[in-house]
Amino acid sequence: MKNHYYIIFAFLLSGILNISCSNDYESVPLEKITIDFAFDKNDSIGSKASWFLNDIYSKLPEGYNSIDGNLLDAATDDAISIDEGVTTISKLATGAYSSINLISQDMKWADYYAIIRATSIFVNNIDVVPVKDTLTSGLNAKYAWKSEARFLRAYSYFELIKRYGGVPLMGDKVRKLGENVELPRSSFEDCVNYIVSECDAIKDSIWTSPIEDPFINSHRPTVGTVLALKARTLLYAASPLFNGGNIDPTNVLTGYTNTTPDLAYWKKAADAAKELIDLNAYALIDSFQNVFTTQNNKEIIFFRQRGNNHGIEDANGPIGFMNNAHGNGKTNPTQELVDAFPMNNGKAISDPSSGYNPAKPYINRDSRLRKTIIYNGCLWLSATIQTYIGGANNPIITSQSTTTTTTKTSYYMRKFMGNWEKSTQYGNVSHDWVSFRYAEVLLNYAEAENEYAGPTESVYQALKDLRKRSKILAGTDNMYGLNSGLTQDEMREIIRNERRIELAFEEHRYWDIRRWKIAEQVCNKPLHGLRIIKTSGIFSYTTTEVFTPIFTEKMYLYPIIYSEVVKNSNMKQNPGWDINK
Amino acid sequence: MKKIVFFLYMMFIMLPVVSYAQQRTITGTVKDAGGIVVGAVILEKDVPNSGTSTDENGNFKIILKGKSNRLQVSLMGYNPKSVDVTGKQSVDIVLQAAEHALNEVVTVGYGSVKRITNTGSVSSISAKEIRNVPTANVQNALIGKLPGFVSQQRSGQPGKDAADFFIRGVSSLNTADGNKPLIIVDDIEYGYDQLQQININEIEDISILKDASTTAVYGIKGANGVLVVKTRRGASGAPQVNLRLESGMLTPVKTPQFLDSYNTALLVNEALTNDGLAPQFNDEDLTLFQNGTDPYGHPNVNWYDAIFKKYSLQSNSNIDISGGNDLVKYFISGGYLSQNGNLQDFKDPQNQVNTNYFYRRYNFRTNIDMKATKTLSLRLDLTTRFGNINQPRSANAVSEVYDFQKIHPYSAPFLNPNGSYAYAYDTQDKLPTINARLANQGYNRSNRTDFNVLFGATQDLGVITKGLTATARVAYAGIEQYTRQLFRGALPPSYHYNSVNGAYTLDPRGNYVFESYVVTGNVDTYNSNITLQTYLNWDRTFGNHNLNILALYNQQSSSSKADVPSNFRGVTMKFGYNYKEKYLIDINGAYNGTDRFAAANRYGLFPAIALGWRISEEPFFQDAFPGISLLKIRGSYGMVGSDVASGGRYLYTQNYYGGGGYSFGESHTQYSSIYEGSLGNDNVTWEKAKKKDIGLDLNMFKNRLSFTIDYFDDYRYDQLVTRQSVSNVLGIGVSPMNVAITTNKGFDGQLNYRMNVGDFDFTTGLVFQYFRNKVIFQDESMPAFTWLARTGQRIDQPFGYKYIGYYTAEDIAMINSGDKNAPATPITEVPIQAGDLKYEDIDKNGVINEYDQKAIGKPNLPSTTLGLSLGGRYKGFSMNMLIQGSFDYSFSVVGTGIETFQSQFQPIHQQRWTVDNSINASYPRLTSLASTINSPRNYMSDYWLINALYVRLKTLDLGYQLPSKFLNKDITNVRFFMSGYNLFTFTNYDKYQQDPEVASNTNGDSYLNQRSISVGVQLGF
Repeated sequence: MKNHYYIIFAFLLSGILNISCSNDYESVPLEKITIDFAFDKNDSIGSKASWFLNDIYSKLPEGYNSIDGNLLDAATDDAISIDEGVTTISKLATGAYSSINLISQDMKWADYYAIIRATSIFVNNIDVVPVKDTLTSGLNAKYAWKSEARFLRAYSYFELIKRYGGVPLMGDKVRKLGENVELPRSSFEDCVNYIVSECDAIKDSIWTSPIEDPFINSHRPTVGTVLALKARTLLYAASPLFNGGNIDPTNVLTGYTNTTPDLAYWKKAADAAKELIDLNAYALIDSFQNVFTTQNNKEIIFFRQRGNNHGIEDANGPIGFMNNAHGNGKTNPTQELVDAFPMNNGKAISDPSSGYNPAKPYINRDSRLRKTIIYNGCLWLSATIQTYIGGANNPIITSQSTTTTTTKTSYYMRKFMGNWEKSTQYGNVSHDWVSFRYAEVLLNYAEAENEYAGPTESVYQALKDLRKRSKILAGTDNMYGLNSGLTQDEMREIIRNERRIELAFEEHRYWDIRRWKIAEQVCNKPLHGLRIIKTSGIFSYTTTEVFTPIFTEKMYLYPIIYSEVVKNSNMKQNPGWDINK
Repeated sequence: MKKIVFFLYMMFIMLPVVSYAQQRTITGTVKDAGGIVVGAVILEKDVPNSGTSTDENGNFKIILKGKSNRLQVSLMGYNPKSVDVTGKQSVDIVLQAAEHALNEVVTVGYGSVKRITNTGSVSSISAKEIRNVPTANVQNALIGKLPGFVSQQRSGQPGKDAADFFIRGVSSLNTADGNKPLIIVDDIEYGYDQLQQININEIEDISILKDASTTAVYGIKGANGVLVVKTRRGASGAPQVNLRLESGMLTPVKTPQFLDSYNTALLVNEALTNDGLAPQFNDEDLTLFQNGTDPYGHPNVNWYDAIFKKYSLQSNSNIDISGGNDLVKYFISGGYLSQNGNLQDFKDPQNQVNTNYFYRRYNFRTNIDMKATKTLSLRLDLTTRFGNINQPRSANAVSEVYDFQKIHPYSAPFLNPNGSYAYAYDTQDKLPTINARLANQGYNRSNRTDFNVLFGATQDLGVITKGLTATARVAYAGIEQYTRQLFRGALPPSYHYNSVNGAYTLDPRGNYVFESYVVTGNVDTYNSNITLQTYLNWDRTFGNHNLNILALYNQQSSSSKADVPSNFRGVTMKFGYNYKEKYLIDINGAYNGTDRFAAANRYGLFPAIALGWRISEEPFFQDAFPGISLLKIRGSYGMVGSDVASGGRYLYTQNYYGGGGYSFGESHTQYSSIYEGSLGNDNVTWEKAKKKDIGLDLNMFKNRLSFTIDYFDDYRYDQLVTRQSVSNVLGIGVSPMNVAITTNKGFDGQLNYRMNVGDFDFTTGLVFQYFRNKVIFQDESMPAFTWLARTGQRIDQPFGYKYIGYYTAEDIAMINSGDKNAPATPITEVPIQAGDLKYEDIDKNGVINEYDQKAIGKPNLPSTTLGLSLGGRYKGFSMNMLIQGSFDYSFSVVGTGIETFQSQFQPIHQQRWTVDNSINASYPRLTSLASTINSPRNYMSDYWLINALYVRLKTLDLGYQLPSKFLNKDITNVRFFMSGYNLFTFTNYDKYQQDPEVASNTNGDSYLNQRSISVGVQLGF
C-alpha cells in the first residue's frame, strides 16, 4: 500500500510533463493574415493582391473640401474662405505655419511616403502571384497592376517635390524595423528624373487609353495618365521656380542650379505633352461642367474615385437655402478671379473693345464664369441668386440668424457641382476628384511650347480649342478673341490667364503661382470682393478689400516637418524654415 | 487507495464527533507584555499531536486526553512555558518575550524566512491587523501599513472601489499595465481583479517583495514587485469557530456643493454678458428664483440632494472554522458582503426594478491539509467567490449631476405637479430629468464567479537525504462574468409644465407611454488559468551551517474566451546559506519566459544575490551595545523582468489587415482591400530591471523598538516604447521596441515602538516611503524647444502652460493697439478679455500655443506616503488608528467637473474674476464658450493643476472584549467593535470639491469615494 503514495506523486509529475508537452493550440494567431495571404502563390486570379492595390487607391488624396471644407485654392488670389478669424485656410494664405506648426491638411509628407511604401511592397511581391488574366492588349494583368503601382508611386513623388523640392528617394526597397531610414534628400533633378524614368518604364506595360471595360476599370491609370504625369512633372521642373529661379540658387534640393532658364527643360515638357496629345485618346467634351460630374468622359485622364454624394454642395453651396439645399458657402471666389474671365468674344474685360459693362458685369461673359462661380442674379436651385447685401444668399448677420457667416465677396463657387440650376435641392452626383484632364494637357503644351518656341500655331490652336469648347465666339477671324502676332510674353500672360480660369479650383492655381514665382506679387496685396447694393431694383457694384494674403519667398516650398529633420541627421530643411532663424 | 478515500470521507463525517469525544476541556488566553498573543501553540504534555493554537484574540481551547495536567505553551520569539492546569477549567497564561530571539517569520516567494536572517527587502503584515478595516478590498486596507505600497483609490462604487496600487511607485513607461505588481496567492498567480474579490478574513498574512533578491524567483514577472498573500490554514486542535458580524454605513468623503437657481442664474447672466450676448434671465426671473414662489415655472432643484442619499448601508458577515489533528487540518470559511449604492430609492409606481448601485459578494474557502502517510502530505484548497455588481444603465449618476449641459437647477422640477416626469426644458437635448432616467433606464448587472482549486502533494524524501522534500501542485482558476442588461426601449415620457397656464407639453421625443423592458446580456469574461508547479526543497543544518535549496519548475497557461492561451514556463532556483545565522547569503534566480515573444526571445535568466551581516551577533558589538538586540545590514543586487508588453501579444508578427475597401467604377461597387499593419518587431522581448537595495534592520530596547529602512536604486531598461525617432519616410507605423530607460530611486521603511505601563499597552508605528523616477531615454524625437522634452522628466509628468496672472484691461488695450510689448495671446476665435488666464509665452513668438507648454506640477501618483499608526489597549478595551498622508503629487479636474457651462455652478465660480474682484479671484472671468483660454481641457496649466497633499484618519478601530468571567464554555470570546475608514480628510486645496485621490485630468465625476463606519461583534466558540 505504501508504494501507492509514491504512485500518486508520480502520477502528478507525469501529468505535469504530459501537459507541458501538449501542443493543442497554434503558436501564432492563424486568424491574422500576413503578406503571404495578400500575395498568394496559388492565387491565379490575384484577387487578394488586387485588394492590396485597392487599398493604395484609397490612400490617394483628393481636393474636395480638403482644407476644413474649403478648396485649396481658397488660399490663393482666386478665392478666400467664408470663415472668420484665424483658420487653417487663412494660415495657408498668410504663411502662418512653420516646421512645427504645420497645416496637416496639405502638408502630407507621411501620407505620401505611406503610399510609396505600399506601392513598393506591391511591386516587390506581385511577381509571385500566378495571375492568369490578360488584358486585350495581351498583357498579363499583373504587369498592368504592377505598372499601376509604379505610377501611384511616381505620382506620390511628384506631389512631394512640388511641395518640398527634392525628397528622399526610396527606390524599390521596403525597409524593416531597425533598418537605416536616415536617408538624405535626393536632389530635385534626381527626383524629376526618377519620376520621368518611371513613367517611361511603365507606359508600355500599363492599360491602354482609353481604358478597356471602363465600367469597372475607370479609376486605373492608363498610358495617357502616365504621360500626363510625365508632362506635368516636366512642366513644373521647367518652370521659373526650379529652372533659373531657384530660391536658393546653389541648392540642388530646391531646384536646378542654372541661374538662367534652360529652354531644354521647356522642350522636354512640351514634347511630353505633345506625346499625350498625339495619342488621340482624349478630347475636350462639350459640356464644361459635366467634366467633373460624369465618369468615363473623354476628357478625364485620371481621377480619384469618390462616391455619389453632395458633399461639395453641402460645404460650398450658397448659404440661404433650406434643408437639403443648404450650403455652407465655404470657398468664396474673389473679384480678381471673376475679372479674369473674358467676355464671350474672347477679349479681356480690361480691353476697351471687349464690350464689358461694369453696370451689368455678368452679361456676355465667357460661359465658364457661370459654370465656375455663382454670382448675383444667376439661376441656382430654381432661384435667382441674391448676393446683394441683405439678399437671401448674403443676409445681414444678426444674433437671430441661422448662420453666423455669409459670403465675403458676394460670390460662391459653382464648379464641380451638379447641374442644380433648375432643381430645388441637391441630389447625389458623382464627385470624383479629377486629377488629370485633357484641358490641362493642352495648357501644359501651350505653356511649354510658348516658352521654348514662342507663340507658334500649335500654341494658338490649343487655346482656340479650349475657347471653342467654352462657347467663346470664333469671331470673323476665327481667332476666338486672340490677337494674332502676340509676343512670347503676351502669349505667356494669355496662357496663364486661360489656365487660371479653365482650371480654377482644381488645385492648379495654388501651385502655378508658386512655380511661376508670381505668388509674391499676386498674394501680397489685398484681394477684393463685391459689395452689391440693391436700390429700387437696380444693383450698384463696388469692389471692396476682403482679405490680404501674405507671401514670402520661403513659402515657395513647404517646410519639412521639424521632427523629420531631427529624426534624420541627413535631412536638410528648406531655406528659411530653420526653426532657429 | 480505496482506504484513503474512505478514510478521508470518514474524517469529514467524524469531525464534529471527534470534538465531543472529550474528557476535559481547558480554555484560556495567552498574553504577553503587550497584550494577547496569537498563534501560540499549546500542547498537552506527553500527548503527541494534541496541539492547538491561540486564535486571533489570544484564546485557545484544548481537550485533555492524557494524565499530565500540564500544558506546554510555545511560540517563536518567546520563552516556552509549562502550566499546571490541575483542577482548572480556564487559565490565563503570560508569555515572556525571549531576548534576542526575534523569530518573526515573513512570507516570501515559495516559502518563508525569519526576519533575522532575511537578506531581501520585504514588508509584511499579518492580516489580523487589517481585518477590522471596513472595506471590501484587501488593497484598500494596505495603504499606510506597508512601506513601499502606493495606492490611489479612484472610485467608491460598490464592487469597483479597489485602489490601483504599485510597489515602490512606477518605473515603466508602459503606464497602462506595465507597472502592476505580480500578485501571488498561495504561490499561484492572481489577477488584479481576482485580488479584490478575496475576503480579508481568509488571509493569514500579506507581504510585498520589493527588491531583486526576493522577486528574482518570479523572473520575467518580477520587475514590478510582488504582493504575496498567504491564506489561513488549520492547526491541530479542537474546532474553533469565529463569527464576525458587522454592519455600517457609507457616506461620501466629500460632498460637492452646487449653487442654487438664483446664484446660478446670476452667474449665467454675467457670463453671457461677458461673451457679448444677451442675458438669459431678467429681474423678474431672478426674483422668482430667489423667493421660490414659482417652484414649477422657476424651479430650484439641488440635483445632488435629489439624486443621492445621505448614506447607504453595508454589512459584512464572516464565519470560519478551523482545527484538526495530526492527520487532517482544516480551515473553512464563508463570508457575505453587501454594499448598497448611494442613489435615492425613487418612489415611483413606474419604477419596478432596482437600478441602484450595489455589490453583493459571497466567499467560501476550504483549506485542507492531510497527512496521507508519515512522509506524504496532501493539500486541497477550494475557493469560490461569486457576486453581483449592479449599476444604473444610464451611465454614471455623479456625472449626470455635474453635467450642466444635461440639466440646470432651474431646468425642471423633480416631478411635475401631477406626478409626471419633467424634462430639462431649457437644454439642447431636453432629456427627462435625472431621476426619471435613473428610475426607468434599467440596470447593468454583472454576475461574476471566481473558482479556484489548488491540489498539492508534498513527499518527504528524508530517505534520500534529511530535509529534502518534493512538492507538486496543480491549481486552476476560473473567472466567468456575465452581464445582464435590463432597460426600457426608449426614454420615459416627460412633460414640461407651464406654470402660467397649467398646460403640459410632451417632450420632443414624443414618447407618451413607457416602453416595455428589454433584456440583453453578454459574456464579459471567461478566463481560465492552469498552473503546475513542482519543486524540490532541501532544508538542512550542518552544525553552524544552515542551508536551504529550492529548485522549482513552474508552468502556467491562461486563456481568455476564444483566444489562444498564453503560456508561461520556467525554473526557479533558490540557494540560501548562513553561518551561525550571522553571515548570510542568498542567491536566487529564475530562468523563465512567456510566449508573448518570438521563439528566440522567450526565455531569460534573472539572477540576484543578497548578502547580510548580523553585526549584532558579533561579540564585540554585543559588548559595546548590549541594548541592541538586532542590527543587520543587508544588500541585494539582481535583475528581474516584466513581460507586460504594450501593444499586445504578437508584436513580433507583422500582420496585414482587411481595410474599409474602395469603391470603383460607375456603380461605385465597394471592393475589398488589404493593407500592411505596423511593422513587426522580431526582437521584441521583456523589460528588464536592475535593482539595488541596501537595507538595515534594527531592534533595541528589549525589542520594544524596531526599525527597518531600505534604500533602493532601480534601473529599468529595454522598455517597450514606440520609437518616435523613426523618420516618416519609412512609410509605415512601427511596433514598440525595447529601447526606453528609466530610473527609480528612493527609500522606505518603518519604525515601531511598543511599551506598556501597568495594564496599559501602547504601540505606535511609522511607515514611510519616497520614490523618484526619471525618464532617461525614450527615443523621443528632439522637440523644437528644450522645455518640451519628456526625457529627463518623471514618468507621467504633466505638461501645460505657466500661469502668470489674469489679463488686465491695460493688457487688452495694448493687444488691441498692436503694441509690441503686449502680452502674447492664443489664436482663437474668441478675443481675449480682461480676466482671462494669461500664460507665459515661453518661445516669445507672441502667440500662446502648444510650444509654450512645459513641465508643470507633479505626476499624479504621490511620491511620498506616510502612515502613522497608534494602538492602545487597556484591559478589554482596545483602540487602533491609522493616520495616512500622501504628498508630492498633482491633480486637475476638467470639463464637467469645473468648467462653467459644462459643470454645474459651484461656489468656486462665485470667486471668479470680475472688475471688482481682480485681486482675490480664484477663477477666471466667466464665459459660456467652451474653447477659450480659460478652459482647462484646452489649456491645461498650473492654474488648474494643483499641487496636492492630504492627510487622512484612514482607519480607527475601537473594541471591547468581554472579560472571560462573563463567558461560558460554549462561547470563548466576545468582542464588540466599531471601526471607521476614511474618517477625516485634510487637504491643502479648495479649488476642487474632490476627493484627493481623484484621477487627474478627468471630469472628477466617478462614484464618490466613501467613508465607512461599522459596528460589529465577534464571537468565538
